[in-house]
Amino acid sequence: MRSEIRDQGEGTPSPAEETLRLIARLSAPEGLEERVQVGLRAASRTTLGSTRILQWPMALRLDNAWMQSSLARTAAAAVIVAVVVGGGWVVSSRVQPAQPARAIAIPPRVSVQGSFSNAGAMRTPQTLNGPVVEPSANAHPAAAAPSETKPAGKAAAHTPVRHGKSAAAHKFIAQPAKPPAK
Amino acid sequence: MLAVHPSIFPFPRVWWTMSVGQAVFSGWMEIADKAAYDKAREHAEEQALAGLVSQYAGTLYRVAYSVLRNSSDAEDAVQEAFVRVLRHRETLAEVRDQRVWLIRIVWNVVLDRKRRMKTRPETDDVAELARVLPAGGLTADERVAAAQHHARVLACVEQLPAKERQVLMLSAFEELTSVEIASVLGITESSVRSRLFRARNLMAGLLDHTRSLR
Repeated sequence: MRSEIRDQGEGTPSPAEETLRLIARLSAPEGLEERVQVGLRAASRTTLGSTRILQWPMALRLDNAWMQSSLARTAAAAVIVAVVVGGGWVVSSRVQPAQPARAIAIPPRVSVQGSFSNAGAMRTPQTLNGPVVEPSANAHPAAAAPSETKPAGKAAAHTPVRHGKSAAAHKFIAQPAKPPAK
Repeated sequence: MLAVHPSIFPFPRVWWTMSVGQAVFSGWMEIADKAAYDKAREHAEEQALAGLVSQYAGTLYRVAYSVLRNSSDAEDAVQEAFVRVLRHRETLAEVRDQRVWLIRIVWNVVLDRKRRMKTRPETDDVAELARVLPAGGLTADERVAAAQHHARVLACVEQLPAKERQVLMLSAFEELTSVEIASVLGITESSVRSRLFRARNLMAGLLDHTRSLR
């Protein structure tokens, strides 16, 4: 079979390419296949040896004769189960459950050498002033009643503006509440 | 799976029907089955690999020799290529064209080796070329002249750019089509043609230049 390329006519195959063809037609040396086969067998052994993690002894191999017997396998499985269960029971019987702690040991405070001590002073956090709740005008309707008799325009004109307190609250402070008339 | 008769089980039948016991025992049997299956599969893979060696070792050797031009290096390259096949033998069944696949492997091996060696091939020596290349019916003087010509050609091939040189070398193999060369090099068929065209033009120029120097 000739190469398609030479039949396609891309460029003209030069006589110089005959050299490459001569080299390409050289026959393989004698015994090449046997040497490659031997090398592959060695490489196969090496590959298998490197990938096998656990090499079982010959007596325990699965393809060994006595392990082909089902009875022997059952006995071996029973021995394994007995060893595992017995070992677990021995361990669980000897290990005592941990007792809960009755006292909590606080580690002593270690002062850093070369620094000032606090001389036993306890730091107390600064507390905030509590909110002051002002009684609203509606809490004493009797005190607010006289102001309603005055005309609204005058009251608004003569009442000075006080910051932070309403006019009703100011009156509440200046005129103490009268007892309700019955 | 191997069949196990329940009568050989030493415990009462009610124990035997327990699902856990069955699962453990069937798992135990499957281990033996799997070992036998693995052994058979390994044997089949070895047989397939041996068949590949006997069929394609010569072709791979010639491909390797065309680049390395050293018989022992070419043989080592063939060996290394088959070892790579051995490592990936589980994918052997999925390969569509094993011949092209093997040539591609040995081609990569050879290029790696050539990059690492950086030495002149032994066939650049004229005497070695005269010994290796066939020269039927030639006199001693003609044989030396032919060897000198081959040495000049090979020196010109070495001066080609790598892409053009690779295509030119693979095109010398009569059993490789342009599609197969494209598959080996991982390029398109049109790239193979254009590279081969450039390689032939460059070769003609280099050989003319060599002749004019003489």
